[in-house]
Amino acid sequence: MTVASAPSRLEARARNLLPWLLLAVLALLPSAGLTANITRLLFVTFVWVTTSLGWNLLGGFAGQVSFGFAVFYGLGAYTAALLIDRGVNPYLSFVFAGVIPAVASIFIGLPTFRLRGPYFAIATIGVSEATRVIMNNLAITGGASGYRIMEQRPFRQVEHYYTALGMAALAVAVSFLIQHSKFGMGLRAIKQDEAAAADLGVNPYAYKLAIHAVAAALTGIAGGVLARYAAFINPQGVFAFQTSVYILLMPVIGGIGTVWGAVLGGVVFGVVEEQLVANFPQIHLLLYGALLILIILLEPDGLAGLLGKLYRRLRTPKRTDGSTHSGSRETDEVLRRAGSG
Amino acid sequence: MPEQHIYGFIGPNGAGKTTLFSMVAGSLQPSAGRIRSHGKDVTGSRPFSLVKAGIARTHQIVCPFRAMTVLENVQVASHFGRKNITRTAAAREHAMQVLTRLGLDRLADTLAANISLGDQKRLELARALATDPELLLCDEICGGLSPTETRSMLDLLRRIRQQGTTIMYVEHDVKAIMAVCDRVMVLNYGQKLAEGKPQEIQNDPSVIEAYLGKAGSEKKGSRVA
Repeated sequence: MTVASAPSRLEARARNLLPWLLLAVLALLPSAGLTANITRLLFVTFVWVTTSLGWNLLGGFAGQVSFGFAVFYGLGAYTAALLIDRGVNPYLSFVFAGVIPAVASIFIGLPTFRLRGPYFAIATIGVSEATRVIMNNLAITGGASGYRIMEQRPFRQVEHYYTALGMAALAVAVSFLIQHSKFGMGLRAIKQDEAAAADLGVNPYAYKLAIHAVAAALTGIAGGVLARYAAFINPQGVFAFQTSVYILLMPVIGGIGTVWGAVLGGVVFGVVEEQLVANFPQIHLLLYGALLILIILLEPDGLAGLLGKLYRRLRTPKRTDGSTHSGSRETDEVLRRAGSG
Repeated sequence: MPEQHIYGFIGPNGAGKTTLFSMVAGSLQPSAGRIRSHGKDVTGSRPFSLVKAGIARTHQIVCPFRAMTVLENVQVASHFGRKNITRTAAAREHAMQVLTRLGLDRLADTLAANISLGDQKRLELARALATDPELLLCDEICGGLSPTETRSMLDLLRRIRQQGTTIMYVEHDVKAIMAVCDRVMVLNYGQKLAEGKPQEIQNDPSVIEAYLGKAGSEKKGSRVA
């Protein structure tokens, strides 16, 4: 232990520095000259990363699997669209794009959090579909024919890029703050055993409602930022069940319950999805499903879990008994699963 | 309930010991009757608010957060118990103190899933204690333990009482109950059969009958497993 402490401290410092380095590189990228297409790809990836992190707060931290995040994404998109179209400052509109879905999440959560596990998941599908049908028929948003946003300012792609980057950075920061707080400890307890958590003083219902609201706010802002960029949204797009599934799949692919896993999932989804759609327009969903099945079968901790394993194997080449000490929680989860099944 | 006592509850299988506990701890709602704490009616309160009111429990079947370390398990209780510690560093420190008191500090960084049953039982107790309870409900904390482990667990209970906590203690092992309790209540089919000091209970004919049947009345106070 004592021998390993010096390099591990260095390692911890490197780990703390990494997010800032990444942010700096991404912030400098546009001045290095990016094509419009790459900028767009990165923009979309930041949006997906934010939704992935949002879902991960509820699904990964608190263990509540929701199929209803398209509701928040869509509500955020429409809130921003309606406000920007009426001349409200876009950044102020994004604030509302976070607030409205957060309020909606409370109303959705009040009845659905009475349900546990799969029943909660099923209920969220119902809410999601009901919202889509309503939006399809709502007159002030143009119903099924969608909504076109007329912004009174010139379109500058790089502004959108920085907006999305800032939003994704905010989502990462919020995730880390929650993870290392009392709030996060309560959520982890709820995820593992709700009754036991309650016996230690955690109020599971209130905590689930609270994290649902934070997750909804992040997802809604992402929807709003995308809507402003796309300048056109429709219910079949933002409120689609497929959107809910996409938002759920990203953290699952990347590594559920970990911040970097959710980020990685968003990045992989943003890039892979794009390539799959471009190269295999007919079967891109099939390929995507196959990729997902492979990941779930071979590495339940997602890509982050896989990378963690590789990293540890490289670091400790001689130890094969698996008893090496591990500092990270994700590792502990892996070991636990390996031990129990 | 007299304060700073260890109050034992015994009775045959299905006598209603665990049910009584669950009602006091808020996991089950009584169909009749009230539960009062310091003269305040707490009937129907949820477990998490009872914890804040100073009532904590351990479980007969241990339920640690298996993917958390032993320290983190207790840290949750430090955060959300009566002390309501917000800062994580302070909660960890408080949790570590509790672990040291219970001799679990050497396992602080081990996953709760990977420790022995005896240690998991201690962890149950550690978590309940870390909520800083006035009333501690211990449900079969010696069940499944070896005689040595049982002895050290009972010592722990005595020390907890000395520090001013009242304990309600359910156990199948009559010897264990008799060894630590100040008062004992015997339950059978949900009814109070007898109540008093351990020595009085041991000689109560109705108690002996409930446990051993009429024929076994001579074997006073023998262990019933």
